[in-house]
Parts: sequence; structure tokens; C-alpha cells
Amino acid sequence: MTEALTLLATIILGSVAAGLWRVLRGPAPADRLMAAQLLSTGAIAALLLLGAATGDPALLDVALLLALFGAFATVAFVLGARLARQR
Amino acid sequence: MILDWLLDGMVALLILAAALWTLAAPTPFAAVIGFVGFGLLASLAWVRLAAVDVALTEAAVGAGATGVILLQSAVRLRRGAAEVAAATPGRATTLLAGLLAGGLGLGLALAVLALPATVPGPAAEAAARSAEVGLGNLVAAVLMAYRGLDTLLESIVLVFAVLAVWAMGPDRHWGGIPGPRFARQRDGPLALLARWLPPVGIVIGIHIAWVGADAPGGKFQGGTVLAAMWVLAWGAGLVRPPSVADRRVRLVLVAGPLGFLLAGLLGAVLDGSFLAWPAALGKPLLLLVEAAMTLSVAAALALLVVGPPERRA
Repeated sequence: MTEALTLLATIILGSVAAGLWRVLRGPAPADRLMAAQLLSTGAIAALLLLGAATGDPALLDVALLLALFGAFATVAFVLGARLARQR
Repeated sequence: MILDWLLDGMVALLILAAALWTLAAPTPFAAVIGFVGFGLLASLAWVRLAAVDVALTEAAVGAGATGVILLQSAVRLRRGAAEVAAATPGRATTLLAGLLAGGLGLGLALAVLALPATVPGPAAEAAARSAEVGLGNLVAAVLMAYRGLDTLLESIVLVFAVLAVWAMGPDRHWGGIPGPRFARQRDGPLALLARWLPPVGIVIGIHIAWVGADAPGGKFQGGTVLAAMWVLAWGAGLVRPPSVADRRVRLVLVAGPLGFLLAGLLGAVLDGSFLAWPAALGKPLLLLVEAAMTLSVAAALALLVVGPPERRA
């Protein structure tokens, strides 16, 4: 079971790598931000799987923090873009 | 076994790719997004290295708080594009700095590989005696008891950082309201998120700070979450930053370091040495200092994101 969960986490990270490629290409800031969101969602999934694989509940806390900061980062970037346009 | 190698290798490659892309990013905005992605992946790497405390710090302080502070800097620097261009080092300097940093990284990697299997040091004794401090989390025990002085100085550095940011404002705005003003959002996604997320985030922040005594977590990570929730409400125009002359703000800012210092002096009086955590009061006193520190970290980080005073109170 541990192997299966680790394998799943690896596959998910592979899909995250594809997302990172999208970050590379852009071209609009919104594209890059969406890819960063995909990255955080993928990392949360990988952490939850690894948490189940290792039985360490602390990994759930890391996933929780990533979920919170993922939402927060999106808002921060939108606000930053708005401020940049005003100035 | 092979799977573990595969996963770790993939995380390492992704980190390198994120780092390279951040360096080569076409705009400051893109670079900050790359930096946040890099922090996220570094957090995963720390989990793989079984250092969950560091992973939490990287996710909260590295990717979250530092990312937003860098973003604010990128926005502010747009007004001084000419000065930034003039101060940007040339290609040769950049290449030299890159070579030096790369050499240093390579040297560090070789040094880590050359370490003996069992590293000599006080780690084993610290682990054996961590129960005496009343903290189940060894990292917390080291931070609060064995290396308490480092943590105390670190908490004071945060206060100085806020002072340095405040000092960036022009004299005529001293005592005024810091940061840009955001229009109040009545509806739309931001208004919804700013009402919906902070209650959840505040619970998670307090949880992370509270479990830090016995599991990975602690005041810095928890305080960062609390700061992020306030920044969210600020961005939606629901709250306004207080004036930098407000005594309450200053009190919250220094509550942690001051509490830590007083507890240390109490140790000197009762137990004969500074920061000795007197056995009779140990755990409750420790929790009190940790709570005050969580508040101070939250206030300091929020004020660092907001920036220097920009208008009259």
C-alpha cells in the first residue's frame, strides 16, 4: 500500500512538472499564476498521499498551509497587478 | 526503494528547474511567481527529508510571506524603473556572482556528502532530555530552551525590520497610516474570499502555533498564517492598518520579545541563569511566551507587507 501511494504521489508530481512547463511559456501573467496554482494543488495532493503512506499526521498540516497560501497568493497577485496599474 | 529515488529525484529536478526559471524570468512579476513555486517545491523536499518543521516554515514564511513582500517590492519599484536599471549590475558582475554562488553551493554539497554517518554533537543528549523542558517536539525544545537566546534575538530582529520599513517613509508622513489604500469590495470573488477564508485561516493559524509544542508547527508558522488572513481582509478593504504612532500596535509588536525577555530574567532570578525556564513555572510560562510571540510575529509580518507610512492619520 505504501508503494502504491508513493507511486501515485510521483505520478501527480509528474503532472505538476507538465504544469511547470506551462509556467515557463506564459505568456500572460494570468497563465503563469494558474500554473503556480496547479503546482500548489498538485503538491497538496502529493503531501496527502505521502501523509497516508508514512502515517505522519504532520504532513496534513503542511498540506493545510499550502492550501491556505495557495488561495492567499492568488489574491495577493491580483491585488498587486491592480496596484501596479494604478501607479 | 526505487520509487523513493524516483520521487526524490523528481522533486530535486523540479526545484532546479524552478530556480533556473526564476533567474531567467522576463518580468519581476513572473520571477515572484517562480519564487513562490520554488518555495512550494522546497517545502516538499523538506518533507521528504523528514524535516516537517522546516517544511511548514518554508511553506508559510518562504513561499507565502516572502513571496508577498517581494511582490509588493516589485509593484513599488515600478515607479523608479530608471534608478533600478542604473543600479542593476552588468552581465560580467552577474556571471561572477553566479559562479561564486554556484561554487559555494557545490562546496556545501560536497561537505554534506563527506559528513560521517553519525555526526558528533549534543543532539543525542538534547533528544534524551527534551522531556525535562515539557516539550514533545524536539525542534521546539531546541528553539525555546537550548538555543533560547537565538530565538529571542530572532524575535527582536523582526521588530527592527518593521522599524526599518517604517523609516523608509518621508518625514511628513511619520505617525500616519502605512501602505496603499484598497477600495472596499462589496461583492465579487475577493469580497467573498476575504469573508470566508479568515475564519478558517485563524483557526488553522492558532492550531499550527498550538501543536508546535508537541508536533511540527510553532509560533512563526502560525503567526504567518494569522498575518496572511489580516492582509487578505486589508486587500478587500474590510480593515484599515492602524497609524504607526498607535500605542496598541507597538505594544502587540513588542509583546513577544518583551515577554521572552521578562521570562528570561525570571529564570535568572529563580534558577540562577538567564533564559533558564524555572522548573516550577516551566510549561505555563513557555506557553504564555509562545502565545505572545505568535501575536508579535503576526503583527510584524503584516506590517512588513503593508509598508511604510504613506498618508496622514
